Amino acid sequence: MSIIRLKALRSLGPSRRCFSVGVQQEDEYVPVAQYPKILDTSYEAKQARKKEAKWKEIKDVKTVEEKQIKLNMPRYYGFKCYVFQEDKVPYNNLNLAQHITKTHLIPTRTLPEFYNDISVDGHLVAIKSQIEEALLIEYEGYKRNNTNLTEKQIEDALSSSIVKQLNRILINNLVEDNSHLLDTQVDYDARIEAFWYAGGMNPPLNVKKYRTGVEWRKHTEDDPVDRAIHYSGSPSVQLRNELPLPPIIPHSEASNPDFKVPFFKYDPRTVGTTTTHKHAANIAGYWPGEKYQFGLMSYHKRGHMLERNFGDEADAKEALHRQGILSSFGWLSAQANMLGFTTFNEITYPMVTQTVITDGQKFSFYLYQMNTILMNGDNYKENPLKNVCWAIPETELFEEIKDGKLVGFNDEVLKSLLKFYKNVPQERLGVNLRPYLAGEKIIANYSDDDKRNWLEREYKYLVSNRPRFKLDYEVYHWEKIYKIDHKTRPIEARRRPFELFVDPWKRTLDDRQPNYIPRKLRPDLPRHKGRYAKEYFP
Amino acid sequence: MSTRIYPLYQRGGPQLRVFLPNFWMKLVRPQQEQPPNVVQFSCSIEMTKFDVKNYLEKIYGVKTVDVRTRIALGKTKRDLVNGYVVKEDDIKYAYAILPKDEVFKFPNLFPKEVEESQKQEEKSLEEAKKIYNQYVDRNKDRPNVPGWFSI
Repeated sequence: MSIIRLKALRSLGPSRRCFSVGVQQEDEYVPVAQYPKILDTSYEAKQARKKEAKWKEIKDVKTVEEKQIKLNMPRYYGFKCYVFQEDKVPYNNLNLAQHITKTHLIPTRTLPEFYNDISVDGHLVAIKSQIEEALLIEYEGYKRNNTNLTEKQIEDALSSSIVKQLNRILINNLVEDNSHLLDTQVDYDARIEAFWYAGGMNPPLNVKKYRTGVEWRKHTEDDPVDRAIHYSGSPSVQLRNELPLPPIIPHSEASNPDFKVPFFKYDPRTVGTTTTHKHAANIAGYWPGEKYQFGLMSYHKRGHMLERNFGDEADAKEALHRQGILSSFGWLSAQANMLGFTTFNEITYPMVTQTVITDGQKFSFYLYQMNTILMNGDNYKENPLKNVCWAIPETELFEEIKDGKLVGFNDEVLKSLLKFYKNVPQERLGVNLRPYLAGEKIIANYSDDDKRNWLEREYKYLVSNRPRFKLDYEVYHWEKIYKIDHKTRPIEARRRPFELFVDPWKRTLDDRQPNYIPRKLRPDLPRHKGRYAKEYFP
Repeated sequence: MSTRIYPLYQRGGPQLRVFLPNFWMKLVRPQQEQPPNVVQFSCSIEMTKFDVKNYLEKIYGVKTVDVRTRIALGKTKRDLVNGYVVKEDDIKYAYAILPKDEVFKFPNLFPKEVEESQKQEEKSLEEAKKIYNQYVDRNKDRPNVPGWFSI
C-alpha cells in the first residue's frame, strides 16, 4: 500500500475506515435480492412522513414539561387557536363539540349499569338532613353583597359556595367507609386548559386562496384542514386521586360501530367560535410531578345559561351537554398530557371522569370515558376509537324553599351524587400509566440546576399564556393600502417583514436571542465568548 | 326613516318628497360555506345587530335566533390616469341565524332552462355576425355598389 493511499484512508475518519477495511462476511449474499422499501414520493406522502417523524420526536422526549415545550416549538407567538370556553356557549354548538372531541353522546335517565353495584342507602338519611341544613343556610342564612354583580356572577357565587358545602358534607360522612376519599385532593376554582388538534373541517378562505394560487395544489383546494382547539374552563370544585377510575366500558368496546359521532364539516367560526393566538397549554389544575394526577369528579357552574337568550328550549339542553362534554374531555386530555401523552401520541388506556353541572338546585350529571385523543388529520374517519359520554339531563334536588324549609327533596339526585363519590379508583393491573415518559420523567428530577431552572421558567411562561412583552406584529392599514395592495412607495427602504418575504407568525419558539450574561458574571473567558446563556430547547 | 334633511320648499319644487330609508339589506351568497340555518346579508353600515333582527322580523316575518355582524374593508384601486388610490366603502355583513331546524337554500337565479335559451340566442347572434362579416368581406373591393348588383 502506497503512502498516498494510507493518507487517504486516514483522512476518511474512523467511521468510514471500517467500511474500506471491511472483512468479507459469509452471509453477505442472500438467495433473494433484498431492496429497501420503495417510498411514495408524492407531495402528500412526503408531508405525511415529515409529520410522523415530528410526532415521534415528541413521543421520544423524556419529561412532561419538555414534551409541552416541544409541542410549542413551531410557533413563537402561539398557534392560531379556536377558543372554546366553558361558560360561553353559542347557538347550535353541540355537533361541533362532539366532532372536535369525537364523542358519542348517550342521553339516559339513570346511571349506566356499572353503578348498580354501588349501594348508597346506608348513608342517605344521615347525609340528607345535613345537606338540607347547609342548603337552607346558603340560600337564606347569608346576606350576600350582590351590588354591581351580574345575574351570572350572583348565581355562580351562590352555586360554588353550595357546592363547597355539599362536597364537605359528603366527604366527611363517607370517608369513614371509603378510604379512597382520605387519599383524595380537593381543588377549588382550578384553572383547566387543554389544547388539541381536530381535523375534518372545511378549509378557511385564506387556505383555499393559497391552494388555488399554486397550479399543482389546485386539486387539494377543498381538503379539510386541522384546527388547533383551545379549551378553558374553571370547575368550582374538583377531586383528584393517585389512582384512575375504572373504565365503564372496556377499551375494546370503544371502537363499537354503533357509536356515532356527528360530522361537522363547517368552519367553527360559522357557529360563533372565535380565534386568537395562544400557546399550547395543558393545565389540569396541578403541575407536573403532582402525586394525585387522576380526576375523580368535578362540579361546574351554570350561570352562563342565564345570559343565553336564544329562546330555544332544546338548544338550552344541548348547551348543557356541550358544557358537559367539553369540560370532561378538556380536563381528561389535560390530565393525559400530564401523563406524557399529547395530541399526537394516542393514550394507551381509557380514562374516566364524572362531571356535575349545577346551580345548587338543578343538577346535570355527565359520565365521560376518554378512549382516544387523536383527532387530527384523517383520524375523524380512520381512527375507530370513540369517546363516550353518558348524560343525565337536569333534575332538581328540591322544588322550592318555603317558610324556611325545603320542599320536595329529590333523593335520586343525592343518590347519583353519592354514587359518584363512592366510585372507587383502582389500580390498573399490568398497565403502564406513563408509557411515553422515561428517565427523569419530570424536569424537577434533573440534577443540572441551570437546565432545570431554565426549563421550569420556559414551561411556566408558555402555559401562563401571558401576552408577550413586545406588541405583536401587525400590518398597519396604511401599509396594506399603500405598500402591499398598491406599490406607491417604491423608493423607501424595504425593512418590514412583508417586504422581506418573511411571515412573522411563522417564527419558531427558539428564534430569539438567549439571555445576555453581563461581563461581570461571566467566567474568565475571552471577550467574545460566553456572552449568551445556554438554552435547553428539547 | 331617513336622516336626509327635507329641503326648504321653493316655488316650483315638488310638493312632497319621499326619501328611501337608511336601512337596507341585501341577500348575498356566502364565500365560506355556512350551516343551512345561517343566512348572509350585506347591509347598511349603520345597522346594529338589533336593527338587523328587527328588520327581518318586522318586515319579512323571519324569526332569527341570533345575529352576528362584521365590517369588511372596502376594496382599493388605483386611478389609471393620475395614479392615486381610491377606496370603495366598507361593507357590513350580517349573519342571520335561524332556528336550527330551518334550512335556507340560496335561490338559483339562473336556472338551467333560462341559461340554455340565452346560449341559443347568443349562438344565433354569432351566426348573424358571421354572415354579415362574410358579406362585408365579399364587397370590400367594390365600394358604393349596391348589394344586389352581382353576378
